[in-house]
Amino acid sequence: MKKSKLVWLLSLMLVLSVFLAACGEDEKPATSEPKTEDKDAGTEPKTETPVVEEDQILNLVMGAEIPTMDSSLVTDSVGFDLLNNTNEGLYRLNQENVAVPALAEAEPTISEDGLVYTFKIRDAKWSDGSAVTAGDFEFAWKRAMNPDTASEYGPYMMSGVLKNATAISEGTVDYTELGVKAVDEKTLEVTLEKPTPYFLSLMSFGTYLPLNEAFVTAQGDAYATNSETVLSNGPFKLEAWDGTGLSWKLVKNDQYWDAATVKLTEINYDVVKETATIVNLYTTGKKDRAGLSGDLAMQYADDPDLVRELDTAVFYFKFNQERNGEKTPLANVNIREAIAKGFNKQDLVDVVLNNGSVVANYLVPAEFTFTENGEDFRAVNGDMAVHNVEEAQAAWKKGLEELGKTELSLEILGGDSDLAKKMDEYFKDQLETNLEGLTITLKEVPFAVRLDLDTNQDYDIQNAGWGPDFQDPYTFMNLWLTDGGNNQMSYSNPKYDELVNSAVGELALDADARWAAMAEAEKLLIEEDFAIAPIYQRGTMSLVKPYVKGVVTHSFGGDYSYKWAYIEGK
Amino acid sequence: MAKYIVKRVFYMFITLFLIATATFFLMKTLPGSPISSASKLNPQQLAVVEAKYGLDQPLPVQYGKYMLNLVQGDLGNSYQFKGADVTDLIISRLGPSFILGAQGLILGVAIGIILGMIAALKQNTIWDYGSTFIAIIGISIPSFVFATFLQYWLAIKWELLPVALWDDGWKSSIMPSIALAMGPLATAARFIRTEMIEVLSSDYITLAKSKGASSFEVAFKHAFRNALIPLVTVLGPLAAGLLTGSLVIENIFAIPGIGEQFVKAIMVSDFSVIMGTTLFFSVFLIFVILVVDILYGIIDPRIRLSGGNS
Amino acid sequence: MTQNLDKLPTESFKRITIDSSQAEKISKPSLSFWQDAWLRIRKNKAAIVSMVLLVLIIVMAFLGPVLSPHDAEKQTITHANLPPKVQGIEKLGFMDGVGVVGGKEMDLYERKKVDEYYWFGTDGLGRDMFSRLWEGTQISLFIAFVAAFIDLVVGVIYGGISGYYGGRVDDAMQRVVEILIGIPNLIVVILMILVMKPGITAIIIAITLTGWIGMSRIVRGQILKFKNQEFVLASRTLGASNNRIIAKHLIPNILGVIIINTMFTIPGAIFFEAFLSFIGLGLQPPAASLGTLINDGFRLLEFQPYILLYPSLVLSLLMVAFNLLGDGLRDAFDPKMKD
Repeated sequence: MKKSKLVWLLSLMLVLSVFLAACGEDEKPATSEPKTEDKDAGTEPKTETPVVEEDQILNLVMGAEIPTMDSSLVTDSVGFDLLNNTNEGLYRLNQENVAVPALAEAEPTISEDGLVYTFKIRDAKWSDGSAVTAGDFEFAWKRAMNPDTASEYGPYMMSGVLKNATAISEGTVDYTELGVKAVDEKTLEVTLEKPTPYFLSLMSFGTYLPLNEAFVTAQGDAYATNSETVLSNGPFKLEAWDGTGLSWKLVKNDQYWDAATVKLTEINYDVVKETATIVNLYTTGKKDRAGLSGDLAMQYADDPDLVRELDTAVFYFKFNQERNGEKTPLANVNIREAIAKGFNKQDLVDVVLNNGSVVANYLVPAEFTFTENGEDFRAVNGDMAVHNVEEAQAAWKKGLEELGKTELSLEILGGDSDLAKKMDEYFKDQLETNLEGLTITLKEVPFAVRLDLDTNQDYDIQNAGWGPDFQDPYTFMNLWLTDGGNNQMSYSNPKYDELVNSAVGELALDADARWAAMAEAEKLLIEEDFAIAPIYQRGTMSLVKPYVKGVVTHSFGGDYSYKWAYIEGK
Repeated sequence: MAKYIVKRVFYMFITLFLIATATFFLMKTLPGSPISSASKLNPQQLAVVEAKYGLDQPLPVQYGKYMLNLVQGDLGNSYQFKGADVTDLIISRLGPSFILGAQGLILGVAIGIILGMIAALKQNTIWDYGSTFIAIIGISIPSFVFATFLQYWLAIKWELLPVALWDDGWKSSIMPSIALAMGPLATAARFIRTEMIEVLSSDYITLAKSKGASSFEVAFKHAFRNALIPLVTVLGPLAAGLLTGSLVIENIFAIPGIGEQFVKAIMVSDFSVIMGTTLFFSVFLIFVILVVDILYGIIDPRIRLSGGNS
Repeated sequence: MTQNLDKLPTESFKRITIDSSQAEKISKPSLSFWQDAWLRIRKNKAAIVSMVLLVLIIVMAFLGPVLSPHDAEKQTITHANLPPKVQGIEKLGFMDGVGVVGGKEMDLYERKKVDEYYWFGTDGLGRDMFSRLWEGTQISLFIAFVAAFIDLVVGVIYGGISGYYGGRVDDAMQRVVEILIGIPNLIVVILMILVMKPGITAIIIAITLTGWIGMSRIVRGQILKFKNQEFVLASRTLGASNNRIIAKHLIPNILGVIIINTMFTIPGAIFFEAFLSFIGLGLQPPAASLGTLINDGFRLLEFQPYILLYPSLVLSLLMVAFNLLGDGLRDAFDPKMKD
């Protein structure tokens, strides 16, 4: 465990910068992805209390505005990142990215059947001085399931986990029946739908944060629309945010129960969208961290300030098998195999992306989930669907014969960022060169449009990605279930469904067996069905001032924690 | 005059009405749902959200409501910022855009006039070519390239000015203003040059010269004042150019202005912000053109309103 | 006094007669519109240089991709991000393949073991910038010329009809223009691109949608000015048809204005296309235009200036040339400047 964690941590740190860029660009539907920074995370942060004499002020850049600070409504990485620093749930990811009790006083008591969790809430306060109670959790979770709230993440994160959540989101049960109950001021009883091995890791996620009922009700529609109408119970509180502006700051929250640990007094944020401008701000010392991408990254490859982190978002081609009610050529497994193996991923990450990303021959990212013994999930399956032109061409020939065609024209749907466009050009060139008779057309659209096309299955091949919402391979594996939320490509394999469902069903309490089931499913998905073609696991490169210490990058939920961060040697 | 203004204002409203209508229906034909999470919401929730934005009603009703709200100055709610009021959003972004626009315009026109004067008075000399060259550079280099150059030299190499952001008072506004000024500068310089040359060759200048007025007196007292008047007519197009510039410049310098927000709204398909900003830009432009026309009518008695002259 | 007069010899005087047939003789050679314009533009050095430059750029736009040994679309990923290197010139200390990476200067060709020469370097995907530049120029020019041509045709017809027929026709047509002129063209362009499938056609349509208005107003103004002048009235009195008046009298007189206006429309369109690229609404890759090339390069100004330099240079030269030529033509066509 130790060693892998270290590696993992290091990788985490890498993550930080891309975020922004990534959000808008070539990633999955607005989920948060986690990252890490802090160059010395492996060694330093956990230890000593530094001498705090310097101004403990951090200056950061964000790539997008805050859409909302309402934890029930947040769907984007900026929101999750800030909530992680202004608020606290039952659990919090620690410096080693392990969810540990936070507002929960200690580990919960769990019933024998693994269904009922009883948490004791510690003495903590909201930033207005009122106490955080068990009722605040009950209120928040039920609010997230209330159809009137129209929360996207509520039903998504709670369905299949909390008792009745699935039924509530289907509209058959009232949201007040959700399996969460404040037994008294300080005792929270949570009932699950079925035993869920990763339940506790969910407890650090933004959607599961508590909300101060009196405050939220009093604010009504105005809740969390600016820094005056939001309460925090975490290390920092939000200030100077007008709801739509390009700047805001976090200041230390003296009411936080663990305020003694928090060293930073202020974090100033500015939204800057031009990467070149961000780097310029960094160079002139105005900002303490700058994400790098593409060609800019190359120039800083040897910079001592450079921090590389491996993110946990994985990008892949989705092969749509049915478009407008008709089977596409991609319904043919050989065609899919040919494309999956038909482009050079190494060149892509080395030259085109050049941002610390690594080749992905898998779906569940490396350095993300580990067994009890610290063994990476990746060790089970190894590489699948590796780039291999001969195999690709053989499969292509076979596929064309089966289809009775000599040439095919396919469309690649991608994002509209500069990087996404560059990637698409590369794919086009690679595939057209390697697969004779293939013509690729490119379609590059804004994120919202891509989502729409995805929902309507109106594409052939889509360059998409996914970042985890909790620390379990299931967060990736459930995407391709026959009725999976992200399937949208008519992939259906009963065996795959069976394997994945068993991992959260009958095998839920058997760690080894469910692990094996998911690994088998992954193999089925990628190496036998070629349902998707993994491309790369995102890495990030950023410049971080050496005096910034103790920032923790996370692999899911909010990107960074500044709770332990401090400035030294500025 | 009054009649003319009333007539113009009337047309102004027709224009705005058409723009509002066209934008509304164009937005409805755009691909992509404005509700970012539409694909993830269940039907019940989707209904709630659609009701909130009035998307559950038939199109004519939506249109009617939109126009009705518009009359009351309500531009609807933003999709990207959960429920934020578009009118408030635009107002909150007005300040920086206005300051930069005004500074850019004044700076550009002032320098443009000087360059134009020099060029006209020293026609076909190195001075003329030099100032013409500067003016043409102003319209030949895309503003984002020019802005990048400024950033690189003024902020990074020489460390004279802040790189970007809107937090250092007037210093923050210098580079973006210079970048914005290039367009107006070029237009004004070329315009003044042409006008001055024409005026300088007119009879009354010859008369003034023959009566012994110094060339300085001729240039400033007679020619310049007359050349300046028609410059008013290009202010409308110049203002339009500034809008274009602001989209680019505000992004590069991370200025919290309207242009920056407009580009963002396009990227994330925030239809209500796109519509609101479009209308705002239109009102602004139409208003500027109207004011310029009226002003021109007042300054130059020869042009008594034979129809707006921009 | 009188006596003195008498003394003057009569043979010193000669009687002359006034030949009325010579009174109307034009001493200058008769010149057609074009000859006249050419004569005067020839004296304008800037305009001539511009013209040569334009021809040069246009020729290169077509010849360039052929000259280069590398295909514009061909990605040689191992040759990505190379600085310019030209045979011969390399010995002079520039365009020698030396670039800056990570703050250090080094010969990137050597480092990447590349034997070929890329005259203008390569982009991030290893494509030859020289070929791409000229193909981009082609596309930019294409967009500009087509847009300008459409503006011209629509504008001249609309303005011509409105001005020539006048009266109620003019009234109605001008009301429409008055409404349209209030619409910021930037907005129209952006909205149209959002609605249409992005690409060359969308950009051209978007640019021309409001672009013709300027032309139509100018043409209308000119027609109004000329149609009641004596020479037109005379022609009409002599029984000339509308067509003949338009073709023989009006068009030649306003041709200069039309040409000048077109000269300014073309760079405007090129510029607008570049702007659209910046806000992400430009051409779809892998097509390249000057705008998209500049957009790719401006972030790398500090490190790989050559990516930005050449397309910017060509764009600027085009703009300067069209503008100077426009200025020159204006002077040449302006009747007041006749000597």
